[in-house]
Amino acid sequence: MTSDQGVVFDLGYQPHEGDRLGRRGAIFATIRDGLRRILGIRRKARKKVMPWLLFGIALLPVVAVVGISFFVDDIFSGGVDNPFAGHPNIFTITAPMFFIFSALAGPELLIPDRVEGVMSVYASRPMRVSDYLGARAAALAIAAGGFLVVPQFILYVGLASLHPDGLFSGLVDNASDIPKFLLASLFYLLTYGAPAFLVGLFAKRLGPAWGIYLAFMWLSAIFAVVITEATSGIGRYAALIALSIHPDIIMDWIFGRTTVREGITGADFGPMWSVGIILGVAVITWIIGIRKYRSLL
Amino acid sequence: MTAPTAEPLISTSQLGHAYGDVVALHHLDFVVPAGRVGLVGANGAGKSTLIKVLLGILDPTEGTARVLGIDVGEDPITVRSKVGYMPEESCLPLAQTAADFTVYAAELAGIPTKAARQRASDVLTLVGLHEERFRYIGEFSTGMKQRAMLAQAIVHDPELVFLDEPTAGLDPAGREDMLSLISRLGEFGINVLVSSHVLTDIESTCDWVVMLDGGRVLRTGPLTGITGSDAVDVELLGDNDHDGVIAALRTRGAEVEVRGGVIRVTANDDAFDIIRDALAEAGAGMRRLSQSETSLEDIFLAAGDNE
Repeated sequence: MTSDQGVVFDLGYQPHEGDRLGRRGAIFATIRDGLRRILGIRRKARKKVMPWLLFGIALLPVVAVVGISFFVDDIFSGGVDNPFAGHPNIFTITAPMFFIFSALAGPELLIPDRVEGVMSVYASRPMRVSDYLGARAAALAIAAGGFLVVPQFILYVGLASLHPDGLFSGLVDNASDIPKFLLASLFYLLTYGAPAFLVGLFAKRLGPAWGIYLAFMWLSAIFAVVITEATSGIGRYAALIALSIHPDIIMDWIFGRTTVREGITGADFGPMWSVGIILGVAVITWIIGIRKYRSLL
Repeated sequence: MTAPTAEPLISTSQLGHAYGDVVALHHLDFVVPAGRVGLVGANGAGKSTLIKVLLGILDPTEGTARVLGIDVGEDPITVRSKVGYMPEESCLPLAQTAADFTVYAAELAGIPTKAARQRASDVLTLVGLHEERFRYIGEFSTGMKQRAMLAQAIVHDPELVFLDEPTAGLDPAGREDMLSLISRLGEFGINVLVSSHVLTDIESTCDWVVMLDGGRVLRTGPLTGITGSDAVDVELLGDNDHDGVIAALRTRGAEVEVRGGVIRVTANDDAFDIIRDALAEAGAGMRRLSQSETSLEDIFLAAGDNE
């Protein structure tokens, strides 16, 4: 027997009887949400343009050159004048892209949650302030892996493939490069990411936050050069505020090369100063973040 | 039907909170059982502050609070793993779809992704957003946002959900729908604490009430106990002799209060018998006879006067 009338079933509300992942689940969900947000995934199309454009600019040259290297033997020769001669030079392409990406991503990770009141949702979930901020930082770190580490790894494999004794020998011989470019990437992440977070902790709108970050990073570098060249003695310490220069100095140090950089090199500071300043900024940002968010979460 | 629990739903002992010099909660002492609890008070009475203290967002400046038997000050994370919260202000990311955000809200409570997707779909259907679940929240009306906020508060199957002014900003139809949804939460086994300054909302949804005024507990107890009364209301036919009936009632020892066209009768003996006899003596007819109910508003105003 059939009926020509439909039946509406009200399923009501079903209790959840499966697993609950607790804090661990909340942290991973927050990392995943952060990544989606800064890459524009499951967001409107205009949110995807900048991150993927920057990622493309960071990645494509390396992919293209490694591809060409299979046909042109000496593409990786030529020392520092060749932008593809080695891992340090790849950072000159990828780090500026990550710098701009950080300007966009740092505020994007923090401001909307606060301004749109979403912190109230986190406040009713099994999370601590450190879980939330740590998960947001982790999302930026994973994105940094895409911008900074993936191109280096492609180059590493590309260089290894050209090894006279074959790919495997090349991978083994060049394995010492891996910790070097990982460490350098970490310092680029901290240098660009921490100030972007710091701006995101206080700004209420994305546009001004991007502007403040970019202006600070660029103007501090210019200011450092001008002050250092115009003064002597204690004035040389002004060179240290040029945050954007520090990871380049550390990267040179890690890869054992010397590059003259305006202002800060002339001020004759060693790389440990740069390490200290970058770590200091990161730690201060973390402490400020925890204190500020304690009343929200 | 609510989840059976041996522990009180919420209990506080000398609970206080101050924003600097401004004391928002004064020595709150109350215990509420499982079920649907109304938190009533005027704007600024301390309702939202109390909810934030119970969630562990704000630390008590004195005293303690227990939610579902857990000390909030000692273990806020465990409390948060068992509750949901719909704040008074918006808590929705405008750049996400309702479906994505509700899934995320479930995952934040530790629900695995696959189950979170299923639950989000079910809950959005329950709150009436099934058709709109793939729209961006920024495109939602006020009523739809309120529904989405309720969805995120219950998607993870909490034992207790805090609803802070859930009908704020809704039109009459939206308000009725929201109150109906809140009433159903009890049937689903979810304990509810509803905060509102609209007393009729509490009367229609809750079975226990905590009345706050100026950060102090004015009164707390079951709604029927608070609003129930021994008095009887009688409404006479229009052309009857009101004065004669009132005099006959008073001669039988009843207390009489006239409220518009209604005579409220309170008596030590059976009020219904006294009214019958008084009407017979005065030769009057009546239109309506019912047990009197005091509204929360009456109680609130009376308590305020006593203060």
